[in-house]
Amino acid sequence: MDQNNSIPPFQGLASPQGAMTPGMPIFSPMMPYGSGLTPQPVQNTNSLSILEEQQRQQQQQQQQAQQAQQANTGPGTSGQTPQLFHSQTVGGSTTTALPGSTSLYATPLTPMTPITPATPASESSGIVPQLQNIVSTVNLGCKLDLKTIALRARNAEYNPKRFAAVIMRIREPRTTALIFSSGKMVCTGAKSEEQSRLAARKYARVVQKLGFPAKFLDFKIQNMVGSCDVKFPIRLEGLVLTHQQFSSYEPELFPGLIYRMIKPRIVLLIFVSGKVVLTGAKVRGEIYEAFENIYPILKGFRKTT
Amino acid sequence: MASTSRGEALALPRVQCPNHPDALLVEDYRAGDMICPECGLVVGDRVIDVGSEWRTFTNEKAVKDPSRVGDAQNPLLNGGDLTTMISKGTGAASFDEFGNSKYQNRRTMSSSDRAMLNAFKEITTMADRINLPRNIIDRTNNLFKQVYEQKSLKGRANDAIASACLYIACRQEGVPRTFKEICAVSRISKKEIGRCFKLILKALETSVDLITTGDFMSRFCSNLGLPKQVQMAATFIARKAVELDLVPGRSPISVAAAAIYMASQASAEKKTQKEIGDIAGVADVTIRQSYRLIYPRAADLFPPDFKFDTPVDKLPQL
Repeated sequence: MDQNNSIPPFQGLASPQGAMTPGMPIFSPMMPYGSGLTPQPVQNTNSLSILEEQQRQQQQQQQQAQQAQQANTGPGTSGQTPQLFHSQTVGGSTTTALPGSTSLYATPLTPMTPITPATPASESSGIVPQLQNIVSTVNLGCKLDLKTIALRARNAEYNPKRFAAVIMRIREPRTTALIFSSGKMVCTGAKSEEQSRLAARKYARVVQKLGFPAKFLDFKIQNMVGSCDVKFPIRLEGLVLTHQQFSSYEPELFPGLIYRMIKPRIVLLIFVSGKVVLTGAKVRGEIYEAFENIYPILKGFRKTT
Repeated sequence: MASTSRGEALALPRVQCPNHPDALLVEDYRAGDMICPECGLVVGDRVIDVGSEWRTFTNEKAVKDPSRVGDAQNPLLNGGDLTTMISKGTGAASFDEFGNSKYQNRRTMSSSDRAMLNAFKEITTMADRINLPRNIIDRTNNLFKQVYEQKSLKGRANDAIASACLYIACRQEGVPRTFKEICAVSRISKKEIGRCFKLILKALETSVDLITTGDFMSRFCSNLGLPKQVQMAATFIARKAVELDLVPGRSPISVAAAAIYMASQASAEKKTQKEIGDIAGVADVTIRQSYRLIYPRAADLFPPDFKFDTPVDKLPQL
């Protein structure tokens, strides 16, 4: 799986990375979390070993560190053509599971609205949206008796008259899970994909320890929420005038402008203070892509006073 | 005798003046003639008179106008009101032995439009409560008809859609009403009206202008009984405050309310925050917050020709 390392790093392109602080494991749109992470479905075991899970995470972090070192020597991360970042019009690669997914061939440029400039290095915002919440679902594969779970598990609440699921919370990672009697579970509150998966496994382990034959099937991240700050005030009235078909700004209903970007399909809440909330993503790359798309637009509507 | 074959379009014999085929004929209904205006030739005669059959001498607006047969036609909205129905009998013979009326079928009057007619009635009721003019009601009816025919919002309560259409119509006519004002005359919650509003805009692919502080000044001020001077001052203050960006992110209604408060406190007609909050539908703490933001620049915000009853430095500071 370490095919990334075999490809010599791409040299000779003016690196916008220079603008960003080097030397730290960079979470950036072009070097996604774990840049060496190709989607590795083989390792998605259904066993509930938490230890395995943590080991896997550590492994990935090590790979990250390796990649970071490598990247310090050359701008492009191996296995990833910098074109993917600079042109930024390649929608194809960023909408696959991970933006770092290796494509040895340059993917064809797909037209995207709103327009992103293809000029390298001049339009990178240098701001990375931070993930705030991840919602994921998993199927435990067996029917559950919610009453037993609620009575025997710690930190579980169950009020069948109000809601037909057990609400369980764990402290590390700080998350909440809704466990339904069909065996399906929703896990919310994690700040990263791996944490969400780890938390879901922990919940499944709790259910398993209570005596149910729990499995870990079809773990899927359903929604990711990120937020960031562009650090300047924004003229929302101007933005709603020019981007009428995407924006909805009703100060009576909500103080922020609701921008529904079509590609990638992300909803952004843009506030006068310059704070932006991005939601509706299935993968991290969509959030980054959406922010890179909106940043030049927002710069155009900066308040001048 | 179908002499005209079906191949050609139905060519009804158009009466036209033989000398001036292009001239539009003038109808003289009293004599039943069609006259060419160019040469005065009487082209068609014995035209059927479609006026009423009898003359009425009742006073102004009698309950029933015998010249009319049926309700005023509303062709735009009802899809052709050409149905008739049998009314209840009036004489003794129309009741059978048990006292029930003999002819009972009063149901199924354009069932597909029944919901729409109901909604129109509701819209008229709502609009009457806030004294909206006929043009807004007509626009609302049109919007409702478009939404109803599209069926994209079929699952939503008709009253919610009607309220949202009313809101949109007011906005489109340039006299926006706040959501709270529409809520006051409707049984639907503000949240639901807001949701339907966004859905309708998407369904009809229209957009509305952003609300400004000036849209509400005349209504709020006259409801409070403030003189014109104060109203003009408040309008000026609110506009200036938005231009100077003293109140970023605040709803225009709150800014308008704070401006009215400042203007009224500087004049002889002082109004409390609570009164203004009641009229504008804004909480008085919200007025206080917006007022705090505009207070520091109060001297710049007033119009130059304003007569102060209370000078700027004596304005209340909350």
